[in-house]
Amino acid sequence: MVPFGGWEMPLSYEKGTVSEHLSCRNDAVVFDVSHLGTVRVSGATAKRDLQRAFTNDLDKIGPGRAQYTHLLDAYASVLDDIIIWWIDSDVFDVMPNASNTSRVIDAISGHDTTSSRAVLAVQGPQARRYVQTFSGDAAAVPRFAVRRVEIFGTECIVAGTGYTGEDGIEIAAPVGVAERVFDALLAAGVSLAGLGARDTLRLEAGLPLHGHELGVGITPLHAGLGWVVAWNKEEFRGKAALMAIRDAGLDRRLVGISTQGRRPPREGCVVAHDGRQIGITTSGNFSPTLNHGIAFAFVEPAYCEPGTEVTINVRGSLLPGSVVATPFVKKRSS
Amino acid sequence: MNIPTELRYTKDHEWVRISGTTARIGITDYAQDALGDVVFVSVPDIGTAVNVGDSFSEVESTKSVSEIYAPLAGNVIAINPVLESTPELMNSDPYGEGWLCDLEITEATAPASLLDAAAYRALIEG
Repeated sequence: MVPFGGWEMPLSYEKGTVSEHLSCRNDAVVFDVSHLGTVRVSGATAKRDLQRAFTNDLDKIGPGRAQYTHLLDAYASVLDDIIIWWIDSDVFDVMPNASNTSRVIDAISGHDTTSSRAVLAVQGPQARRYVQTFSGDAAAVPRFAVRRVEIFGTECIVAGTGYTGEDGIEIAAPVGVAERVFDALLAAGVSLAGLGARDTLRLEAGLPLHGHELGVGITPLHAGLGWVVAWNKEEFRGKAALMAIRDAGLDRRLVGISTQGRRPPREGCVVAHDGRQIGITTSGNFSPTLNHGIAFAFVEPAYCEPGTEVTINVRGSLLPGSVVATPFVKKRSS
Repeated sequence: MNIPTELRYTKDHEWVRISGTTARIGITDYAQDALGDVVFVSVPDIGTAVNVGDSFSEVESTKSVSEIYAPLAGNVIAINPVLESTPELMNSDPYGEGWLCDLEITEATAPASLLDAAAYRALIEG
């Protein structure tokens, strides 16, 4: 168990991170992600308030859909990256990272319902088949859809979302029924996965983690996430600052780097090209799927083209590598 | 926790099997469990001379990196060749297939700092 965002979380279970990771890529696993925040925003002004707070545009979707979005500060730094579950026309569950829930409530008010439910992320190519054994309705929730689903007689919110690069669903179950849902998943044959596998899976899938690829001094544009910014909206927090940064040009960009050999690159390693520092890594590890090292790094814009040869200095060892397009591991077509 | 009685141990969680003038070295069951899944081991070059306490290898897991310190003075005469492709043997068989290297011992007597199994157990369960 390790402390994480104010929670005690399992880094791994008995089989270990690599085995849990491969189970998610080949079969299905369940993560207890109850540490994610849930802020319920509802009422006639709910949508308007969210539109003014966040970068993405809810008019791209509609009720019954999920959307990835950002909350910026006045300098356009990413305060948090968030999934919004649009449940009914005027009911939204806003899901920040664990440690950022209070920042999000400051920005949008709303009602913190985190302690009323557990969130179970069932992820992997076989995830729906296992969920089908106890809830056909939950198993049928399409990718990026959000549904109210009755499971064991209790209403849960189910969304076709996740953070692994695999198909799957996330179930927000009221605490009274959450353990029963968890037991049903295990009885069906889903295996357990911890934070360690969650990190290597999201890294392979090219997904950013707040505090590493997003945070103070980092805008969505630096992180290559311009698609979450709806410039056409009249306003959102940080818009003026973000426009100024866009117009001035970026001093660095986030890239993926593949390294040769099994030695894991780590966070905070110097990235060099022809012996000169061009950037620094923000996350890195051994990729269990690819069997070599992978990393995210911010580099000078001139060096962000795929194929650019670089080295990553891991405690004095220079790992040869190259800039690659992300995701590092693409979802297999099912 | 598996702590074979015939081995000697260091407080840094290495084990030593001394036979004649050769010492085989690895990491303990406790160490592999604490490290988590081992994904890379940097092994010393054959012929490297080490003194007691020298950092001469690194074991990397998905969560962290750990240095391995020489439990004895000696020269590296063999390394475990299968660790390059299957470092996970350090997890699955830390006292057997997952050994790290062999040293030819250069000091006549083993350092007093080496622990027997009972003392090592007391250390990790203390």
